[in-house]
Amino acid sequence: MRPHEGQPVRGGEAASADWRAYAALARMALQRQLAYRFANVSGLLTNGFFGLLRAYVLIALFGARHAGRVAGYSMGDAITYTGLTQALIAYIALWGWWDLMRSIRTGEVASDLSRPLDFFWYWCAQDFGRAAAQMLVRGLPIMAAYALVFRITLPPTPLHWLALLVTLALALFISFCWRFIVSLSAFWMQDAVGIGRMAWILVTFLSGFLMPVAFLPDWMQALMRYTFFPAMINTVVEVYLGVLSGPALPGALAAQLLWAVILYALARLVLAAGVRKLVVQGG
Amino acid sequence: MLRLYLRLISISLRSQMQYRLSFLLDALGSTFASLVEFITLAAALTRFGSVGGWRLGEVAFLYGLVEMAFGTMDMVFSGFDPGYFSQQIRRGTFDQFLLRPASLVLQMFGSEFILRRLGRMAQGVAVFALSLWVLNLPWTPGKLMYLPVVFVSTVAFFGGLFVVGAATCFWTVEASEAINIFTYGGSTMLSYPMHIYADWMRRFFIFVVPGALLVYYPALFFLGKPDPLGLPPFTPFLAPLAGFGVLAVAFAFWQIGVRKYASTGT
Repeated sequence: MRPHEGQPVRGGEAASADWRAYAALARMALQRQLAYRFANVSGLLTNGFFGLLRAYVLIALFGARHAGRVAGYSMGDAITYTGLTQALIAYIALWGWWDLMRSIRTGEVASDLSRPLDFFWYWCAQDFGRAAAQMLVRGLPIMAAYALVFRITLPPTPLHWLALLVTLALALFISFCWRFIVSLSAFWMQDAVGIGRMAWILVTFLSGFLMPVAFLPDWMQALMRYTFFPAMINTVVEVYLGVLSGPALPGALAAQLLWAVILYALARLVLAAGVRKLVVQGG
Repeated sequence: MLRLYLRLISISLRSQMQYRLSFLLDALGSTFASLVEFITLAAALTRFGSVGGWRLGEVAFLYGLVEMAFGTMDMVFSGFDPGYFSQQIRRGTFDQFLLRPASLVLQMFGSEFILRRLGRMAQGVAVFALSLWVLNLPWTPGKLMYLPVVFVSTVAFFGGLFVVGAATCFWTVEASEAINIFTYGGSTMLSYPMHIYADWMRRFFIFVVPGALLVYYPALFFLGKPDPLGLPPFTPFLAPLAGFGVLAVAFAFWQIGVRKYASTGT
């Protein structure tokens, strides 16, 4: 399908109902990711080693409190937390995702935009495929390794398992929207890469990746919860560990959904602005 | 030789400094990235009080020392960075080094000097300075003289790991990711007091890859803390031996790799 003469680029149009196309994109991205086998094995080892270090640091922090709970977390929860966060690194591309920015800088984006698929969902489908592959080759093996080495905790109820699936999907979507918006800065900025690096560091800092948000001082927690970053990692962690239970559980999922909607709207706005700029420049 | 080295790195430096603002943002970003970890640790310590019995100031001493040394090494040994070097081999630019009438090692050192990594070193200095400000350590002339020795030895130690990583590229270009466990994993591990880790980890990093001898044991000496692991009392002073020993072994391994590479006639 070729775009007709004079038809505007499709960046802002409503999503094509051709789910099969997006599913195919996701599957291809998944297969691409699975093809990097050696990188996956040694990366897994590195990932696991860092998890080990972080677990010992948390054990040392708990110290004499190892039998009790701190901020609702038992020591088993804290150890499981390190495994979970290590497992999520690749899944939400915590340390950077440059595909879209690269395509803008090389000019490939122009051909992406003239495809008969919606630009946002085109990239989103591929990211979901990539993430699924990473969950298979990094996430699950790390959790399995953790189950062998430590005594890890599992989601406490079937409801929590279901909530886990929902929260994982929402966390990925929110992460993708953020990475999408940041990547689009390449339409305007020469040094988008520098912006990108800062943006990924921000995620590491504010998402609850380094320490459970609940372990931080109250004022820091308050600040972080005003942002969408904890929804990328900390919410997933607290659902899994059952720290969120009873009415707090659907409440947290609803908050995550709200952030997802807000970021999606923002992504659409920025994309429209970016496409306008590109068209004006004669891209 | 020094003049040649300086001329080589000035090429790399000048190209990095071409976009001043970009470079500044990069360096700041690198500082921020490292600081974020320490800030989070400090924040958690307000709730937990200590990690393995060490309070914030003491951990900051160890942490800052490791970061200063690693950050410095990261710049000076940029040419040996396994990630960067594997590309050099793949592109064939390393072959040119072999053809030139200058020392190979000098060219390797001169090939890159990633200034933006200054950020990590700067962060180390800040954290270390914080520790000195918080603790009131009794400094003796001996301690003051030993501190820079420990610093340089630690730079040598991490540099040795980089050199080993680069050398593995002569056999398998993809092995560099595995080396990350020792370089980045090692530096993270050594930033915290060794006694918090499992036995096998401690033993490995004391007797096999002797990182603990370079920072943890000297730290026990500087901080006036007893050794919870019961090693001989001269252990804190083995830093230069451990650091330069590792570097020497690394270069021996490097030579083997170069000879193998040059002889296969790629």
